[in-house]
Amino acid sequence: MAQTTTVEPRVPVTDRRSPYVIEDWVARTFRVNREVFRSEEIFAREQRQIWDRQWLYLGHESELPKPGDYKQRSLAGRPLIFLRDSRNKVRAYLNSCPHRGTVLCRETEGNAKTFQCFYHAWTFANTGELVGIPDPDAYPPERGFAAEMGLREVPRSENYRGFMFVSFAANGPSLREHLADARDYLDMMVDHSEQGLQVIPGTHMYAIRGNWKLAVENAMDGYHFSPTHVTFVEYLKTTGYVTSDEGGRAITLENGHSVLVFSGHGGRVGMQWEPRFGAEQRTLVEENVRRLAARVGEERAKRIAGTSRILYLFPNLLLFDIEGLAARQLEPVRPDFTDIRAWELAPATETPEERELRIRILGSFIGPGGLATPDDVEAYECVQRGVVATAGDPRSHVDWSDISRGMAREAEGQPARNVDEAGIRGFWRHWDDEIAGARA
Amino acid sequence: MIATITRLDVEDFLFREAALLDEWRLDEWLTLFEPGATYEVPTTDRPNADPHSSQYYVWDDHELLTARVRRLKSKHAHAENPHSRTRRLITNVRMGESAGAEIPAYAAFLIYKIRDGNVDQFVGRYEHTLVASGEGLRFRKRRAVLELEVLRPGGRLSFIL
Repeated sequence: MAQTTTVEPRVPVTDRRSPYVIEDWVARTFRVNREVFRSEEIFAREQRQIWDRQWLYLGHESELPKPGDYKQRSLAGRPLIFLRDSRNKVRAYLNSCPHRGTVLCRETEGNAKTFQCFYHAWTFANTGELVGIPDPDAYPPERGFAAEMGLREVPRSENYRGFMFVSFAANGPSLREHLADARDYLDMMVDHSEQGLQVIPGTHMYAIRGNWKLAVENAMDGYHFSPTHVTFVEYLKTTGYVTSDEGGRAITLENGHSVLVFSGHGGRVGMQWEPRFGAEQRTLVEENVRRLAARVGEERAKRIAGTSRILYLFPNLLLFDIEGLAARQLEPVRPDFTDIRAWELAPATETPEERELRIRILGSFIGPGGLATPDDVEAYECVQRGVVATAGDPRSHVDWSDISRGMAREAEGQPARNVDEAGIRGFWRHWDDEIAGARA
Repeated sequence: MIATITRLDVEDFLFREAALLDEWRLDEWLTLFEPGATYEVPTTDRPNADPHSSQYYVWDDHELLTARVRRLKSKHAHAENPHSRTRRLITNVRMGESAGAEIPAYAAFLIYKIRDGNVDQFVGRYEHTLVASGEGLRFRKRRAVLELEVLRPGGRLSFIL
């Protein structure tokens, strides 16, 4: 039943019956218990077993162009300082004074060689050393004392082609091992440009009244596109583009990652022309793709330029290689509340005209003010409110969400379409392994 | 014409606009824009950034603005179907120094958005560019700048800010 080519899904040969996920290949049903969206206890377990263990996306190195640049950013609820130190190293510290735990950096962002805690005026270099204590004679000989009171760096951090990840666990797989076969798709994004990608200034920061996993489900769900985004589809039609769900795939990757591949959801700035981009862009895009082919080969260029993708990197990063390039970071706050941060990425060397078009095109679709994302947010929030109705229902089958779409086709050995729910099933299997299963 | 425009005219224009939006009379609202006009909302972390080189929450040219209105009138604009109740408090209205035909207009806004049991507040300032036309004032640039640090707890600008 399992397919051998790389683009086909891994169809599991075993059923699953955990408190949260029931997968039944005889009945061809896949059900998720809705307690996963509501429970404080499961939320706490996610913190311990996922967020405190996994590689988490922190930010992109281009957000900190100059030595000394820093940003406050919280991850899994922990306040951090994300910075480029004076020796040009991108790193992450816990934003908590080693002395008594005070939040050390209180500016949202800026440039600094040192950070001084306002409470007792301890001063730290951006390279981590404690460089100043008022009245140092009150402490043991300063050298030894100061050496162990430097800034607390996150236990582990690694950079993959500009994307900076951190882990709050001292030990575990390397970032490359964690990314595994998802690296190929991440590479396809970065390879848009010879010079790599940079983050465009201006961060979309918004909250959703929904569980973080609803944002993952939604992104790995091509099934919702036509009904949920009908007004966006209609808008594209007025510009001369007709969307299509044909030929799309859902691919479950290792370690909880997955990817949806689209071929007919719209153009991508610099890579795939559509009428909205204007006639003069057409030759520019063709030229870009020719240069890409010269760099990475015809076949890979065709994969990169010819299809759109949404890549999910477990647990907190969604990468959109659709319309333009965007990264969306999920920050769980409560079982029913999630903070979202989203950035637009672009080839570092594109022209101002291309950059402007990119901003216009992506902005028309994505983000809290776009013509599409608000309807996704409506979906997360309606599910979060709706699943309250079935909580504790005495009938055994009622408090479960159905994620079975496409299993019948998969069981016959057909590839998983992105308009099925295979991508979501891949996520839930991995989540269940982490929370309820063997890995816990 | 432009010399005769007073702060009261600007206030009347903004108050009338607020009423049209609160009543969801979007077709009439759209007529308050001159052809080629824009509607923009910068992100909360870069309120003064240039939209040509920065990501915005909203950066509509007249065509996209028209598409936005068409969308909001559709029953398939799920985020606003049913519509939010909104009430806009517009205050501290000031006129800037006119440059040619353009009249800078500034105001503070506090918008209550009520839906699904939530009352969300959006506070900020308007930095519009108006022009005087035969039918009265019109937007050349309609710019809403949020004072919020993050769009939170209400995270969508599915309505007109």
